[in-house]
Amino acid sequence: MERLWPIDLTPRINYLRTIWSEMARTHSHLLWLGLLADAFGFESMFMQFWRIREKVLDLLEHTTGHRVIQSVNIVGGVRRDIDELQKRMIANVLAEVRKESQSLIKALIQDYTVKKRTVGVGVLTKEQAVSLGCVGPTLRASGVSEDVRLTKYHAYGELNFEPIVESSGDCYARAAVRARELFQSIDLQLEALSKLPEGEIAVKVKGNPPPNEAVMRTEAPRGELFYYAKGNGTRKLERMKIRTPTYANLPAVLVLLPGCQLADVPVNVLSIDPCISCTER
Amino acid sequence: MPVMLPTVLRNLLDGPATRLYPMQVREPFQNARGHVVFNDEKCTLCSVCALRCPADAIDIDKESRTLSFHPARCIVCEVCVLGCPSDAITLISKWRTPFSRKPVEVHEARGKKPRTPM
Repeated sequence: MERLWPIDLTPRINYLRTIWSEMARTHSHLLWLGLLADAFGFESMFMQFWRIREKVLDLLEHTTGHRVIQSVNIVGGVRRDIDELQKRMIANVLAEVRKESQSLIKALIQDYTVKKRTVGVGVLTKEQAVSLGCVGPTLRASGVSEDVRLTKYHAYGELNFEPIVESSGDCYARAAVRARELFQSIDLQLEALSKLPEGEIAVKVKGNPPPNEAVMRTEAPRGELFYYAKGNGTRKLERMKIRTPTYANLPAVLVLLPGCQLADVPVNVLSIDPCISCTER
Repeated sequence: MPVMLPTVLRNLLDGPATRLYPMQVREPFQNARGHVVFNDEKCTLCSVCALRCPADAIDIDKESRTLSFHPARCIVCEVCVLGCPSDAITLISKWRTPFSRKPVEVHEARGKKPRTPM
């Protein structure tokens, strides 16, 4: 929305938004890894991952006020700040999360039964992924190096970031991409915390949105999230369009499902990380 | 199998990972968005909260001087708290207890509007 005016934001706002979106990515990937384990019956691993995820959700509640629906962004900045005590708490909790998830992910990725259920299942070739319009980890697991964070929005231009790509395109590759992105997002958060600049957390915004249109693409945990806003000078917006990443990844399911075994259906559908409630938008 | 063994042993020997709720309740965090509380003494029925609420959880009736709040519709977004000019709404960090029927809170506003000097 800030691109409608356009408004210049302070660096601190960009860094805070980066930290919170990476924290949301951490908790979403931990959720997905738990669901993957649940999809082929490994329920105790599912419970272990969600136990670790509770620590990240507590961090989110300490800093933004709520666990999943953070609503910490306003037009012109953010609503809450991270002080020194919270910075140390975030660093400690993230170190614990990294240590515990390393041992669990090693057990998940190297397990023979997990490999039997996911390697070679639901293969999406590079050409299919690009022509179907897939986004996010689904695309990166098929060998395409495409990540919206490379457009350097928020503070990603100043952080050390490379997209994670795997080439085999099956469910195992998608799990590997998300597991490596989990560790990468913990590293990005710690780096952003150490570089957090001083400044205001909200910029004053005057007046109604001018008659202008703006497009914003961000990298949600599931893929590319697309926002389009059009103002007309009054208090209400003329048009607002949101395209969620699950909507772009769903055609891949149509290609993955035909010909697979019945027990592979949940694994295939889950490997694109569907959020059906977002698709309804 | 040996990769999972340390985790399995740790799970067997450590205690439960969950809290025995409702016997043990965790203290709410300081920054948490819990629920919204109205103060009858300060409310002047200016209706800023009702106009701003995205979930239509506040109804203002000027004839009977009451404010009806529907907690089941409230999404705890803090917009009313930030918009109230007389500081009559506060945000408490404790979450609301579950209810089986949707309640409606009716508050009688007793605040007086500050008179502007002529």
